[in-house]
Amino acid sequence: MFKDIFLFELKYRARRPATYLYALILFLYFFISIINGWTPGSEKAYINSAFVIQQALIIMSIFGVLICSAIMGVPVYRDIEHDTRSYFLSYPITEKGYLLGRYAGSFVVLFLVFLAGTLGLLLGGIMGPLFGFEETSRFGPVNFSAYANGIILFLLPNIFFTGTLFFCLVTLTRKIVVAYTGSILFFVAYLVANALTSDIEKRNLADLIDTFGLNTFQNATRYWTVVEQNTSLAALEGNTLWNRIIWMSMAAVVFAYTVFRFNFQSFLDVKLGKKKTIELDLGISKTHVHIPVAVQSFSASGYFREMFRLAKLEFTNVVTDIYFLGILLGGLLFLFLDGWFGFPQYGTPSFPTTYYMLEVKDFNYIIFIYILLIFYTGEVVHRDRSVRFNQISDTLPVPNWLMYGSKFLALVYICLMLVHMPLICGVLNQVIKGYYTFEFGKYFTDLYLIELPEYLQLTMLTFFVHILVNNKFPGHVVSIGIWVIMFSLRSFAEYDYNLFFYSYTPGYRISDMNGFGHFLKPLAWFNVYWLLLGVLLLMIGNLLWVRGTEGDWQNRLKLARHRINTPVLASLLTVTLLWIGTGSYIYYNTSIVNNYRTAEENRNAQAELEKKYSHLERALQPKITDVKLYADLYPNDFRASMRAICLITNKWDKPIDTLYINSNAPIRYLKINGTALEPFFQDASLLPTEGINTDADRTHTGFLWYKLPQTLQPGDTVTMETQTELAYRGFTNSGINRQVVENGTFYTGGIPAFGYSSQGELTSDKERKKRNLPEKKYTQPAQDDPWGLGNLLFNDDADYITYEAVVSTTPDQIAVSPGYLQKSWEDNGRKYYQYKMEGEMDMFFTVVSARYAVAKDQWKGQDGKTVNIEIFHHPTHTYNIDRFIGSVKASMDYFNTNFTPYQYKQMRILEFPRYAGFAQSFPNTVPYSESFAWVGDFSDPDKTDYGFYVTAHEVAHQWWGHQVTPSNTRGANQLSETMAEYSALMVLKKEYGEDAMQKFLKYALDRYLSGRASERKFEETLMQNDQRAYVWYQKGSLIMYALADYIGEDAVNKGLKAFLEKAAFRQKAPFATTGEFLPYLMNATPDSLQYFVVDGWENICLYENRIKEATYQKVKDDEYKVKLTVDTKKIYYDGTGNEMAQGKYKEYIDIGIFTEDGKNKQGMTVKKPLYLKKHWLAPGEHTLEFTVKGKPVRAGIDPYNKLIDRVPDDNVKDVSEE
Amino acid sequence: MNELVISNLSKTYSNGVQALKNVSLTIPRGMFGLLGPNGAGKSSLMRTIATLQEADSGSIRLNTIDVLRQKEDVRKILGYLPQEFGVYPKISAETMLDHIATLKGIRNSNERKEVVEALLQKVNLYQFRKKNLGTFSGGMKQRFGIAQALIGNPKLIIVDEPTAGLDPAERNRFHNLLSEIGLNTIVILSTHIVEDVTNLCSSMAIICMGEVVAQGNPNTLVASVQGKIWKRVVNKEELPLYQKEYQVISTHLKAGLTNIHVYSDDLPDSTFEPVDADLEDVYFTKITGNADAVAV
Repeated sequence: MFKDIFLFELKYRARRPATYLYALILFLYFFISIINGWTPGSEKAYINSAFVIQQALIIMSIFGVLICSAIMGVPVYRDIEHDTRSYFLSYPITEKGYLLGRYAGSFVVLFLVFLAGTLGLLLGGIMGPLFGFEETSRFGPVNFSAYANGIILFLLPNIFFTGTLFFCLVTLTRKIVVAYTGSILFFVAYLVANALTSDIEKRNLADLIDTFGLNTFQNATRYWTVVEQNTSLAALEGNTLWNRIIWMSMAAVVFAYTVFRFNFQSFLDVKLGKKKTIELDLGISKTHVHIPVAVQSFSASGYFREMFRLAKLEFTNVVTDIYFLGILLGGLLFLFLDGWFGFPQYGTPSFPTTYYMLEVKDFNYIIFIYILLIFYTGEVVHRDRSVRFNQISDTLPVPNWLMYGSKFLALVYICLMLVHMPLICGVLNQVIKGYYTFEFGKYFTDLYLIELPEYLQLTMLTFFVHILVNNKFPGHVVSIGIWVIMFSLRSFAEYDYNLFFYSYTPGYRISDMNGFGHFLKPLAWFNVYWLLLGVLLLMIGNLLWVRGTEGDWQNRLKLARHRINTPVLASLLTVTLLWIGTGSYIYYNTSIVNNYRTAEENRNAQAELEKKYSHLERALQPKITDVKLYADLYPNDFRASMRAICLITNKWDKPIDTLYINSNAPIRYLKINGTALEPFFQDASLLPTEGINTDADRTHTGFLWYKLPQTLQPGDTVTMETQTELAYRGFTNSGINRQVVENGTFYTGGIPAFGYSSQGELTSDKERKKRNLPEKKYTQPAQDDPWGLGNLLFNDDADYITYEAVVSTTPDQIAVSPGYLQKSWEDNGRKYYQYKMEGEMDMFFTVVSARYAVAKDQWKGQDGKTVNIEIFHHPTHTYNIDRFIGSVKASMDYFNTNFTPYQYKQMRILEFPRYAGFAQSFPNTVPYSESFAWVGDFSDPDKTDYGFYVTAHEVAHQWWGHQVTPSNTRGANQLSETMAEYSALMVLKKEYGEDAMQKFLKYALDRYLSGRASERKFEETLMQNDQRAYVWYQKGSLIMYALADYIGEDAVNKGLKAFLEKAAFRQKAPFATTGEFLPYLMNATPDSLQYFVVDGWENICLYENRIKEATYQKVKDDEYKVKLTVDTKKIYYDGTGNEMAQGKYKEYIDIGIFTEDGKNKQGMTVKKPLYLKKHWLAPGEHTLEFTVKGKPVRAGIDPYNKLIDRVPDDNVKDVSEE
Repeated sequence: MNELVISNLSKTYSNGVQALKNVSLTIPRGMFGLLGPNGAGKSSLMRTIATLQEADSGSIRLNTIDVLRQKEDVRKILGYLPQEFGVYPKISAETMLDHIATLKGIRNSNERKEVVEALLQKVNLYQFRKKNLGTFSGGMKQRFGIAQALIGNPKLIIVDEPTAGLDPAERNRFHNLLSEIGLNTIVILSTHIVEDVTNLCSSMAIICMGEVVAQGNPNTLVASVQGKIWKRVVNKEELPLYQKEYQVISTHLKAGLTNIHVYSDDLPDSTFEPVDADLEDVYFTKITGNADAVAV
């Protein structure tokens, strides 16, 4: 019996076209993704690496939820829908046979459909080379075990889970809409996991609650290197195992319950119970009743009123729908929680500012909005049909537009309702958190002008699709499909020209400093453009709308011809013209005024430039020795006019007769000793994508070569005067241009560059190979290269310079540039500020201008030296000013004591809009992003004070970067960044104590390990690293922090001080390198620990320390005997992650035993060691015994994770009683 | 003067089925019966008149209204009860009728209330007016369907197989209601039950395979076959023989014996007896001319 039902189900499915459609969709999606290489993972790993395959199988099961609901939701519902249950169940079949047969049959079909997707992956990997979209070498051999592993561990369990739940929910509730709602709930667990996983502390929880195991898989494979990505299989252990057990057993329980509960009786009796109460119908017809004749009126105004009434009815229908409310509630929950958990940096929350509260609407809430609007547009469009009332309603004497309009209007009401939710949740969050700065203007601007149009556009398109497809479920599939395709094209195929992607607009970011800034204009144009298209679609939809019983296209077109008349045609034409008009205006702005290029075009141009001009990289050019900058900022016009008068000197031993200029901003003139020169060559083939507005600009940008009027002999000096102008006009496709804005200009530029800069070259070897460029292993010369040694890291057009600047801006703003303020004055309605720098500095300057409030303080050193501290901040951002000042003071204390004296009398920090999220240290001047610490909430002492830390880091750059000016060689940036990290860590430790460092180091370790896993070339050592941020920041922090712990902070600082004294302000080549630096560190280190410096700086080596067993015995009252078994191993790797060797010698490693955590004086939770000491341990297992006072709770090897350990979590273990 | 004139109406569906072939009918005021087997094209014809679908050629005129073009005007005077329809399960009968009354142009809410109340009385749903439509039985739902069709004093009422699923008493009441309405308006009643037409209609048409095979007054039609219908009892095995020999219009199986009716101008042979023809014989005669004999 089971068999018959099972086979029937298979045969039934085999005849359904939908089955093949689903299979085809999955097959094509994954096939196309693979052959195009649209996959995650390192470009050094295979496109079809084991990692990609396994992840793709998980993603398939997430996408496939819709298919799961379609296949597993209907097998039982079918008998309800077609009323076959009334006789079908009267056949001699058993309940279990029926249920299990239907279930098994459908599940087999479901699995086969997903196998089609898997086949797409497999064939894509095999046939990829034939298509030639990607290099043959990028496709690896077929790794069947990866497919098997991915299917068994993830795909099959996932579709079992989702499929079973759909099946059971529909069987138990007999409602198909439960399947819709169910699919939303699966996403909730997944989305919560996504949100949690960014916080290291919550990653374990995220691993467990992710229904699909995607986060679990990603966390388990976070640190996989290229080698591992190619071949490794996810293991069924740890969190992965628990995750699978939790969700599978949940599905199994639900399934068992369903099988147990299901019986035909209740399945049939759904409605009978209700009806009984009414069946006392006497049925006597009162034919004598007279029906009054009422006045009927059919006027346009009446119709109009009717339309609004109908819309209201429809709106009420939707918003009282329990499933609508359910999904909305899910969305609101996310909206609220996303706002609640806020915008942590290093795990520290931020204040609930209005822009944050608004931004969360695009985190998860938007997904719910899309689901709600797509599904309920379908419901509204098909409402009459789905209850089969359409044959009556379609004959009612109302015009088409009334019916059609009322349906759309109801959806508009829904959009209006949904658009207010971020306001409600945001204000609620702010009130609860006690943040009472309500900025309703910002809320309304964003929600009404930006968000509402987006919802409307979505609704318009979905409405049109449903009208066109004229069938609910396929309508949903097409509607969702359109967004999936657009999303895929944008994220994987790199198409991003917004004009071609329905409802897409340039991005925007709200800033407290600059409000909506320059973003509103392009947003408005794009929104008008898409709304017009939406209106056009609605008008076409109205023509093709099926009223009546015939849905075939022949009739629909015929009807459409009847419906077209002159007014209709005229309005169609008008809207089309308006649409094309706005589109043309946008095109004019993004592609003509601004210079839009696709990602591919950009890369081609980069390659072209490299081929044509890279020979100029080492062309001998004069060096700048003195700069007088005259910067005129016009924030309201988004324009900066920069005049620079420079002294340039030939520092080489050969004469120079040509200036090879290379400028991103148009050059108005270039004068040598007062004589204007004309370029004899110009090429602007790689124009910047913005700020080039006229033909004159075009011919004065890019490469411009000038013959010097007189050959510059070695040692000769002349004056070069240049005038450049950066001006943003119109708007760009991306919408983002941040350098010159209305309030918060932060422009680094103003002097055209010499020669050719390899900075702009393609770095991806994959892209280089496609364009016949040689592999690019390094971006910097080797340490023994005289050219590299002869140039500074940040700028090769100058060594040291003297600097003066006059910056003018609007009178309400303060403009700042490095140096001390000499004077300021007003002239001709503009405000001028003159700055002059003391002594010489590297050529690294900027101009900043905004409406600032200034907080002032002073640092006094022990020797009586003073430094004026100035914090230029947005007037309302006063929350953490003391923190910045405190950090500057603490840094000055530490660096002046342990290193060398600070070179200036002043230190400034300046807030700039959150269009970029960094801080940058210029001589005595640090622009510091608005989103960084200014609005951080540091009230919880357990959270990292990153504001303090980042400030210390930037102050440290005054030493590491501006005192020591590294050469342009491999490894040299470690002298800037690693040393700034180390210095900041020490200041932080001094202020907050050792315990505060744990969280910080944990993040550093995580970022280092995931950084090396997603390496696109190969990992380099600290000594040789040229461009990997995860090496100079994170690895550098870890190594230097541990070294200070091993040999003592003072010893390290002594070495650093000696180096600083030797290298600071070195004005002549050879400039500093890591090769020069490292001996200072070695000298500071005792012989026994020098292995640690060598491993840290010259090797890539990772520890695998682990505690295996930890037990204790109570000896006396408060005395315990503790026995620990630990394992230690050190492995050396090459750059691509291949294991090269294992450590053979003894290592000096912490062993710690802890009692319950306590609190320190700042209220921070801290570990309380009963025993903590370093031991010399040979590789392998060791059993150690200790006697401690106090009850041992936890113990471990390297318990503070000072060493770089691939699995940091297994270093500590709870101690159990023996 | 109220008359619906259908001329040369033809319709072929996109799947190739020719539903209407050159149909011409004149439908006067009163009850008009549209008789035909399942799939004959009755519903197609009715839906076309009810503005729900298009015709390929031909025309329909209601007085001065071109039905195929001036759909808006037709809808203003139309009452339509489709063969199959659903209801909004969670809305009460009263609310729904009020809603439809609004859409039918009754703007005054008091008037609307009176009309709805009277209709609910008329179809005897008044006591259930507050109940949700989802709880209605098949008969009640059908009565609701009638009530909605009668809103707005329609001049043209189309009811498609309205008595299917009703019990005999209900069917009877329903017929009375229709007859009453039919005094002043055009009522087109489609059915495959001959008795309904006999009882109710002053004029009628028989449609088979998309064609009008007969039309006129039922009595006249009966008269046209009177004296040409003959019956006899045959063995089951002999039936094919008779079917070959004569135009067997119907066969009735009763108590193990097969009773056949045969159409013939003269007495076929002495074993046959004459029959007092009724509309059913007309119906079967007309249909067998077009299709195979129908077993009843």
